[in-house]
Amino acid sequence: MAGLFVLDKASILERLGGDEEIFAMMVDMFVQDVDSNCAALGTALASGDAAVLRREAHTVKGLMATFSDEAGAADAYTVELRARDGLVADQAAAVAGLQQRLREIAAVLSAG
Amino acid sequence: MHNVLIIDDSDINLTLIKALVLKLGDCSPILFEHPLAALEWCRSNVPDLVIVDYMMPDMDGLKFISAFRALHGRNEIPVLMITANDQKDVRYDALLGGANDFLTKPIDRVEFSARARNMLSLRTGQKYLADRAEHLSALVEERTAEIRDREKELIFRISRAAEFRDPETGAHIQRMAHYSQIIALGLDLSLAQQKLILEAAPMHDVGKIGIPDYILLKPGKLTHEEFEVMKGHARLGQELLKDSRSEVIQAGAEVAISHHEKYDGTGYPYGLKGHQIPLFGRIVAVADVFDALTSERPYKRAWSLDDACKFLEEGRGTHFDPMCVEAFLAGWEHVLDIRQRFRDEEMPQI
Repeated sequence: MAGLFVLDKASILERLGGDEEIFAMMVDMFVQDVDSNCAALGTALASGDAAVLRREAHTVKGLMATFSDEAGAADAYTVELRARDGLVADQAAAVAGLQQRLREIAAVLSAG
Repeated sequence: MHNVLIIDDSDINLTLIKALVLKLGDCSPILFEHPLAALEWCRSNVPDLVIVDYMMPDMDGLKFISAFRALHGRNEIPVLMITANDQKDVRYDALLGGANDFLTKPIDRVEFSARARNMLSLRTGQKYLADRAEHLSALVEERTAEIRDREKELIFRISRAAEFRDPETGAHIQRMAHYSQIIALGLDLSLAQQKLILEAAPMHDVGKIGIPDYILLKPGKLTHEEFEVMKGHARLGQELLKDSRSEVIQAGAEVAISHHEKYDGTGYPYGLKGHQIPLFGRIVAVADVFDALTSERPYKRAWSLDDACKFLEEGRGTHFDPMCVEAFLAGWEHVLDIRQRFRDEEMPQI
């Protein structure tokens, strides 16, 4: 399990070429979309469809990487790989962990 | 302005890539969350750059690229695929499937800008080459048309050279060539064949260049021996025109050798019968005789149109191919127009 999320704004901005405007836009979108992203993860788990869970975990991995959350992205990648191997049912705890992580990132980003 | 098509099922990625594309300048981003909708758009629009995510519902990036490349004229459009660092196998498949380059997630602005600019430069180069190819093709077409016009003019002038030694006129050449075209039309020949006979028919008497003046210009009836020499103009014409690489001159050679053959086999030089006589020869025979009959010459008065038509009708199946006579008479209104357009006293237009 990843430790607490720490916002590394400098590294994110470096990747965005120092563009504060794009950074602010992405933060807004992440915070705005966090509920639907968590819901999508939950629905994927409930569906029992490994391909859907793999895709949602992949999306979450990308979101977390965008905000330089390497630890969270690594957890999402684990879920993605296990789903690729057809594993769904025993991933409930890991999925819950990802949902919690997404909300934690959103809270930190909202706090600025 | 470059149209940049962006396909990603993630809102945040779409927004990020859109912002980065706008920062490139001179670009118009077109966004799609669903690859199938993007593909539909591509059927009637041509993007300058495609940026597509790999993992998407309904259709992944590899399948999208494959379907996109299958659309007509989309084979060269640059495609950037977005993949995660861990998807090396996907990258290989994408390269084989038609992607030009990759972007890794999380997207880095410097990397993005460099790769996107490279792809857009490639596209600009493609467009420049395509425009240039189109321009060159138009130029070649224009020059070819000029050469064809020159060829037509030369053929007309060569034909005139022969006719100058004869009481016939330039207007005769034009009329009989256009009558020949009317017959070709009536026989349902293709437009290309109609055009070919129009251009080739004027060469029918080019062999008269080789006939001595005392025979060619003799006012009275020719003796048997003189007529035998006169008949030689058919072979001389063919000799002059044969083995040309030009389709029109080849057709001219055929017309020259065969336009005095008669349908019943009593013509010259070979005494060919019916369909043994080349079709162009059978056509020109009708056109040439009709115009000769209806034209006034120093040694004869012009026949009336009725008498000339009667002559053609009486010559069906003996002198002339009945189908050619029928096609000529069926185009009678055109025949009258041609007589009006090309009168003996006027210099014809080349």
